[in-house]
Amino acid sequence: MSTKYKRVSGDAVEYEVYARKTRAEPLHQVGSVVAPDDDLAAAYARATYDEERWIEMTIVRKDHVIALWQPGETSET
Amino acid sequence: MAAGRNLGDVSLSDLVLSIADNKQMLGLRYAEWATRAPSLEADIAAAAMGLDDLGHSRVLYGCLEPLGEDPRGPDRESDPASLRALPYFDEPWTEWGQFVAANAILDTAFTVMIEACVNGSVEVLQHRLRKMLMEERYHFLHGRSWLKSGIRAEPLRQAWQEAIEWFGPPDGETAQLHKDGRLSLGPKELGARLQERLETKAPDTKIDWKKWDPVRRRGRSGAIDERTFAMLRGLEEKRFAAQSKEA
Repeated sequence: MSTKYKRVSGDAVEYEVYARKTRAEPLHQVGSVVAPDDDLAAAYARATYDEERWIEMTIVRKDHVIALWQPGETSET
Repeated sequence: MAAGRNLGDVSLSDLVLSIADNKQMLGLRYAEWATRAPSLEADIAAAAMGLDDLGHSRVLYGCLEPLGEDPRGPDRESDPASLRALPYFDEPWTEWGQFVAANAILDTAFTVMIEACVNGSVEVLQHRLRKMLMEERYHFLHGRSWLKSGIRAEPLRQAWQEAIEWFGPPDGETAQLHKDGRLSLGPKELGARLQERLETKAPDTKIDWKKWDPVRRRGRSGAIDERTFAMLRGLEEKRFAAQSKEA
């Protein structure tokens, strides 16, 4: 018997994961995870991307990122 | 007091060995779900948490000698019932709900006990166990979040029952270790802390402390399955090595 997990598909949203290795470098995107809430996204990000010795890791909901322009557009459009 | 030994015979080393054996089994059971969880992210989290807990068990085993007493005897090589893990880990889990209940309740129960060790008066535990608490934060977030999805009542009830049992009776050795200052929390405080952490009330549990084994910290007999026990002793590895030689 298979179970449909709403938290995997229906309620899940994408989070982008940012990290850096030294204080001198800026945060950069290292990947993304899909999760239904911030807690699980944090756990998934840590489990998935903690292979390297990051000094900082943060996550942000992708739909909270405000795009100014995207590929194919220019800053004037 | 229950089967086996008397209360006076049970030491802090026995408790640390129980945490170690439980974390070892928790890690193995997590790892079994590394390709069976509901999503790829959950698969990876199961693998990562499994590795964390296996690592924690190694650190805990390493604390036994500095504590001055290693309660592990030769029977651990032949008798699966000599291991001190909870009944919850005796058999591989057959449903995701069992994983979630263990992750949210039992893993957090072990963490709360480790906090009691770190904040107690025993130096080796204060120093060596602290890092585990940072890693366990992510186990907790994972378990608590999945718990919100709702799981069957039975694994939840069993996990709560075994967590409360594992903390020990109100007048048992955990209470004594707390009184001595070696643990910062006693059984009552451990139970309260667990409920507070999980933002939920434990279901009503009836525990027959007369049947409770203070060494294995469990209320019923039984042991881990034969295959897992063989794997722990390295016998599974040998079985595969022999097969490849014949091929």
